Amino acid sequence: MAEMIRKSHVDEILNHWILAGSCILLSITGFAFLFHLDPVASVFGGYNTMKDVHNWLGLAFGLSLLYTMRHYLMDAFEYDADDLLWFKVAGGYLSHKVTVPPMGKYNPGQKLYYLGILGAGIAISASGLAMWLMKDNTTVMLISHLVHNLAFVFFCIAGPVHIYLSTLANPGTVQLMLSGTLPLDDAKKRYPKWIKAVGKM
Amino acid sequence: MANDNTKTRKAILVTPEACIGCRACQVACKSWNQLPAVKTKNNGTYQNPPDLASSAFNIIRYSEIPSKADPVRWLFVSRRCMHCEDAGCMQICPSGALYRTAEGAVAYDRDKCIGCKLCVTACPFDVPRYDADGKITKCHLCFDRIGAAMQPSCVKTCPTGALKFGDRTELIDGAKKDGFKTIYGEKDLSGLGSIYAFKEEPKLYGMKENPTIPSSVVFWHNYLKPLSWIGLGGVVAAAALHYLAIGPHKEKEEEV
Repeated sequence: MAEMIRKSHVDEILNHWILAGSCILLSITGFAFLFHLDPVASVFGGYNTMKDVHNWLGLAFGLSLLYTMRHYLMDAFEYDADDLLWFKVAGGYLSHKVTVPPMGKYNPGQKLYYLGILGAGIAISASGLAMWLMKDNTTVMLISHLVHNLAFVFFCIAGPVHIYLSTLANPGTVQLMLSGTLPLDDAKKRYPKWIKAVGKM
Repeated sequence: MANDNTKTRKAILVTPEACIGCRACQVACKSWNQLPAVKTKNNGTYQNPPDLASSAFNIIRYSEIPSKADPVRWLFVSRRCMHCEDAGCMQICPSGALYRTAEGAVAYDRDKCIGCKLCVTACPFDVPRYDADGKITKCHLCFDRIGAAMQPSCVKTCPTGALKFGDRTELIDGAKKDGFKTIYGEKDLSGLGSIYAFKEEPKLYGMKENPTIPSSVVFWHNYLKPLSWIGLGGVVAAAALHYLAIGPHKEKEEEV
């Protein structure tokens, strides 16, 4: 058995699945509200119950999102020269011929993605909470409705990109959100600067 | 969801000039819709209740406009849901509780209402009200009566003809023939279902000038809504294309 190294801890994995699960359910119910998808509403027993599910899931999503800051926020603000080069070769995603510079624990695409999700996530949670609790303030309602939907469009575009890049596009990545570990030899190739920093290379 | 057949579109024509402020329309509305009275206080105006309420789908708006030539001038306007062709409330309603009837009325399904109050924010005329159960209430043009070839109860009871009900185009043509220069609501929001015949400026009677749906709601309806599923479909298609054309990451090429 090859030597393994832990990249994600149990609380991180658990929290990520709460975030991912709530995000997907919120998107499905959100689409049902946007386009009056009666069959989807029927699954929840009608629009009234679906609204309650949407609201409380939103709360779970928001809290889970805040908890992710513990895991990713520090890394998301640190960029070096290799990160800049990473953008020049588009992370190696547009051609397999280019040489991708050595990366740390996260590549700059992931770091910026995280900041985007954090920003849009806070916006969609806060505006959702405002529409839930401040129904009688027309100005708050109109602004929140707009912000909620702008952030939703961001999630509709960003969500599938994240799912694709972390599964099909990078074989072996998905296990980081299942077991949280990967073979040390693979880690040395993918995250050399991180492995050096933890003193295993 | 526009009412495709404008020929069958029904409307209420209000002629404020003919209104004597008897408020029989308010009582008839309560009677048909089984609504309780609103407890109010005398606040020195003929207008009572002071505004639309969850149990007051229509009111007579009263304003006193004295002038030298006419020292005692009382203006009465019957106010209710405008049944807009471009109905902001219908656009924004997330549960489809607000809907258009075959006659062109904007009605609501109380069971479907989730009490979010977004319709209140999108209405240009401040019409929707919420009852004690947190459900929407408003004038529904007596869709249950007009569907059975009867008049709305307010129109039925109006003693002076200040309220008329019928085919929208016929009502407009008739009012113009009778010498009313301004038909309020003829073109606003693609045409209102409550229209008003004036010889003077509608503003004098407290009618809202250039009513519009809030621009953020229009932007959301026209652009953000389609962008959500186009964006989702677009990136899923792009991901599939990337997988086929370029393919997944290969480990060996990234050795250091």
